[in-house]
Amino acid sequence: MTAVESDAIRRIEAEAISSRFARGWHCLGPAEKFKDGKPHTVHAFGQKLVVFTGGDGKTNVLDAYCRHMGGDLSQGTVKGDEIACPFHDWRWGGDGRCKKIPYSRRVPLRARTAAFPTMEKNQLLFVWNDPEGKQPPDDVTIPVIEGVGRDDWTQWRWTEQIVHTNAREVIDNVVDMAHFFYIHNSFPTYFKNIFEGQTAIQIMKGKSRPDARRDDGGGKGPRMLGNTSVAAYHGPSFMIDELTYHYEGYDLTSILINCHYPIDENSFSLHSGIIVQHSDKLPAAAAEATAEKLSTFILAGFQQDVEIWKNKTRIDNPLLCEEDGPVYQLRRWYEQFYVDVADVTPEMTDRFEYEIDTTRPVESWEREVEENLKRREAEEARA
Amino acid sequence: MIREDERLLDGGPLLPVRCRTCAAEVLARKASWEQTSIQWTAEAAAACHELGADPLGTCGALRSAIQEAALAGTITVLDEHTPDPSTIPHDH
Ligand code: FES
Ligand SMILES: [Fe+2]
Ligand SMILES: [Zn+2]
Repeated sequence: MTAVESDAIRRIEAEAISSRFARGWHCLGPAEKFKDGKPHTVHAFGQKLVVFTGGDGKTNVLDAYCRHMGGDLSQGTVKGDEIACPFHDWRWGGDGRCKKIPYSRRVPLRARTAAFPTMEKNQLLFVWNDPEGKQPPDDVTIPVIEGVGRDDWTQWRWTEQIVHTNAREVIDNVVDMAHFFYIHNSFPTYFKNIFEGQTAIQIMKGKSRPDARRDDGGGKGPRMLGNTSVAAYHGPSFMIDELTYHYEGYDLTSILINCHYPIDENSFSLHSGIIVQHSDKLPAAAAEATAEKLSTFILAGFQQDVEIWKNKTRIDNPLLCEEDGPVYQLRRWYEQFYVDVADVTPEMTDRFEYEIDTTRPVESWEREVEENLKRREAEEARA
Repeated sequence: MIREDERLLDGGPLLPVRCRTCAAEVLARKASWEQTSIQWTAEAAAACHELGADPLGTCGALRSAIQEAALAGTITVLDEHTPDPSTIPHDH
């Protein structure tokens, strides 16, 4: 079955981006950062938020703008368990209620601002966004990561940066096998996606690319053979990647976090985190050094994506070949976070599996790697 | 707005396949011998015994049912210019 060829020019379609933000838990970074007794300004979900930890040790997230005269609470001061506005010292509690106005006898009715539910998990701070204003259901959460806080794993190495595009671009990476070869210098040999409920999984195996210059020892040290990655989005923004690098004689086990929160519809804050497991081949100090190196490497990978995102256009109707992943089905899954809970349909959450036939990609990439090596050899001979 | 994957229109649709060991009926499509798409329903996922054990894997019995459906022509393999199906490994 082959469709009739068409002479019509393919038009790129892109609807206006909605300013509704995904329902779900969003990671703001390591929880420790927000426990310094100072208010922090966070731009997220099209708003300005204040994040502060009270004397009771609880970290809270409120709309940053004071309901009195609009002062910016994130420029204020933590006093006791509350955040005090810099303008007239009104005190706001983590529940969003004004607790005290030092110069007034009484707090007025209606003195309540927007408070976002928070959660600390895996030593990270999460904030719950819900356009319907509901509390997070108990079964919608982020799984515990086993290695976090254990002394046979490294500590989180965390990075963050602002990216000026809509967050859907980073989600699309879940299904985009080919870009791993063309922009990230990887060599996928196996690729499968599974979407089910609120999780979107990418299983990828790869081999190392002799034509990619990487400062991972280049001759000295053990040879890297390839990697196995099982990466899952839990909700709309937080991906846990169980990433194993296979070296001659041993495996390197790591957990990579790839997460973001939307700043507004045209920008997001992109975070990465990594922990590496110690082993006989990789004692504590070596594991730290490896984590450091991997973190730099991941950041370089983000830069490669950013370079593409900066220049590309938004496209609602990507034109796909059979060796591409399930972009439309991924976006169908992603849509569940942008509609009211009552409007989530089975097609958004029913299990869907898609395994790419990598025969042709692998053939073609092997040839390309070969050519790259030959060209480099010739260049070096000339030099 | 949810859009349809045009590959299903231009190439071929997902077609029903029934698992041989459980009551699960899914929709499947093969673009080539080694490519597989599987659309489950909640009922099918609940009926399958193997999914619960390993959510990352595809039910082995269902995999072979799909392979057989492809060999029997119940579902069409869109691009047959791929290796002989007998040489295809059953797992990755
Ligand atoms: S504006 Fe915040 S106390 Fe007056
Ligand atoms: Fe990427
Ligand atoms: Zn089954």
